[in-house]
Amino acid sequence: MNEKRDVETAELSIWFFCGILMLTYGVVLIATGILEYHNPPPNELLLPWLESLHPTLWWGMVMAVFGGIYTFKFWPKHPLF
Amino acid sequence: MTKLAPVDILILALYFALVVFIGFYAKGKANTSEDFFLAGREMTAWIAGLSFVSANLGSLELMGWAGAAYQYGILAMHWYWIGAIPAMLFLGIVMMPFYYISKTHSVPGYLQLRFGEPARGLSAISFGIMTILMSGVNMYAMAVVMQTVLGWNISFSIWVGAATVALYVMLGGLRSAIINEVLQFVLIWAGAAMIPILGLIEAGGWTNLKAQIAVNVGRSDYTHLWSTLGHFKDNPMGVHWTGIVFGLGFVISFGYWTTDFLVVQRVLSANNLRAAKMAPVIGAAFKMAVPFIVIVPGLLALAVLKNPDGSVMHLVPASIAQVTGQHSYDDVLPLMLIRYCGPGLLGLGITALVAGFMSGMAGNVSAFSTVWTYDIYGAFINKKASDKHYVAMGRWSTVIGMLVSVATAYLVMNAASIMDYVQALFTFFIAPLFGTVVLGMLWKRATHAGGFCGLLAGTVSSIGMFVWTHSDPGALRYIALSADAKPMAENLYRGLWSWLICVSVTVIVSLVTKPVPVEQLGGLVYGVTPIPDDGSKTLWQKPIFWAIVVITIFFILNLMLW
Repeated sequence: MNEKRDVETAELSIWFFCGILMLTYGVVLIATGILEYHNPPPNELLLPWLESLHPTLWWGMVMAVFGGIYTFKFWPKHPLF
Repeated sequence: MTKLAPVDILILALYFALVVFIGFYAKGKANTSEDFFLAGREMTAWIAGLSFVSANLGSLELMGWAGAAYQYGILAMHWYWIGAIPAMLFLGIVMMPFYYISKTHSVPGYLQLRFGEPARGLSAISFGIMTILMSGVNMYAMAVVMQTVLGWNISFSIWVGAATVALYVMLGGLRSAIINEVLQFVLIWAGAAMIPILGLIEAGGWTNLKAQIAVNVGRSDYTHLWSTLGHFKDNPMGVHWTGIVFGLGFVISFGYWTTDFLVVQRVLSANNLRAAKMAPVIGAAFKMAVPFIVIVPGLLALAVLKNPDGSVMHLVPASIAQVTGQHSYDDVLPLMLIRYCGPGLLGLGITALVAGFMSGMAGNVSAFSTVWTYDIYGAFINKKASDKHYVAMGRWSTVIGMLVSVATAYLVMNAASIMDYVQALFTFFIAPLFGTVVLGMLWKRATHAGGFCGLLAGTVSSIGMFVWTHSDPGALRYIALSADAKPMAENLYRGLWSWLICVSVTVIVSLVTKPVPVEQLGGLVYGVTPIPDDGSKTLWQKPIFWAIVVITIFFILNLMLW
């Protein structure tokens, strides 16, 4: 039983997978949002009200924060490989 | 049609890479059949609960119901609320103890314990057919998204999705599927939540949205959940509240959420009885929120979706869209995604849709491989193989099941719409199965012959009614008990009738056959089984407390949208 517990603590948490993916996506979206800040994409030109909201940048920040918290909290305590 | 930017492709590629990595990662932990088919029974309530909802969140839930919300208005919400929440809570509080303490590996396995081998064989075969067909629906839906949004070839999309899902399920079994499903659930929200948020900003809020819909469609019944259900003629779906409450809310919903092994399998992976009871309650809470990313976009499309010349865009049934080149109802979600999302967000949204379809496919194919291996191959073909052999069979059946699903995906291209197809499948197999399982659990007088005959009669009668109404549309007035009923009502009442036939035949045959000795029913039937303590100590730990919280919110939401 003890051996099983040791194996389980060495496993990667499902929440770690969620965190790392969200964090990566958040960073990618933030970078895209910054690049698009003064060069809005075509859909924002067609919907002018969307341009001032910068949805890519803000959503990227939200995802990076959530992803960062989960990545940090569930970071594996043992070497990954 | 649009084109993905490099950043969109990066997001999609990252997702596929992680999904495959998880498959290889989980492979090392899938050595025994318990590991491969039930993830070692060591999942927490939260993981089992999210996986429970995610496995269901396939093409029907995303594209199908978004399209239905556009077509029928807010009535589509019933399939998420009354068509899910009470049944999920019932599964957790009432039925889960029996599934869990019987230590069955599958729903057909429970039927074998309660009604014998013939009932198990019949339910396993019907379930196998249904899951393979459903998996094909998911593949086809994904391919339609890719074609609509990106102009990708349908075959290319089908084969890429199928190969990826087959790979990770074959490698890691249910554990791999569950890890990916939880990831997919988070991703679906991350990718789809921007549509209703930005859509409601554009529409000027919920009140303005309702007003705009009324103007665009010329009637005000698209945004009422219950008040238009007094008569078949009073609502765009052509249904009656009795069909919604009894057909959908009782029979189809309870049948799907409590006996469809695709979802029940996720809960069986829980690490203890309390987790097994809590998982459906947690799932119900999240399920209640899903209409925000599915139904609301469909409604928003009625208000804001416009042609390039500024006129209101009208979506049409798939059969007409194929001829005229217009967009079909099922295209609502991708169209809304293109409307609001630029590079990056678009990639995230597309990835979310792909994730949804893959979770649906994985759910079906992992459940199929379990039922095939345990309840068909292990029960009737090779009873005495080693555990290692059954794991190998599970892996092979995953691949073969996926190949058959691919063939099915090509088959459903000819269906009138995805929704019609799936609703028909539910009423063929799920509605009568619920009659058999619920009688088996609650009525100790039900006999083996009664269970088998009832299940067979319910399934055959459901298929019979489907054939009848499709060969003679006038038959609908007899099945739905109204000349004003529309096709959607057929599904609801067909499910109700097939359940009633199943229950009636089970009761009659049981009463004329020899009762099962009570000592053989321990752990299988209420009244002869002591329910074990689930270990809850405080009020906050009790599944029943959280079930009451969820059902209270459910009633409040229904009243708010009355």
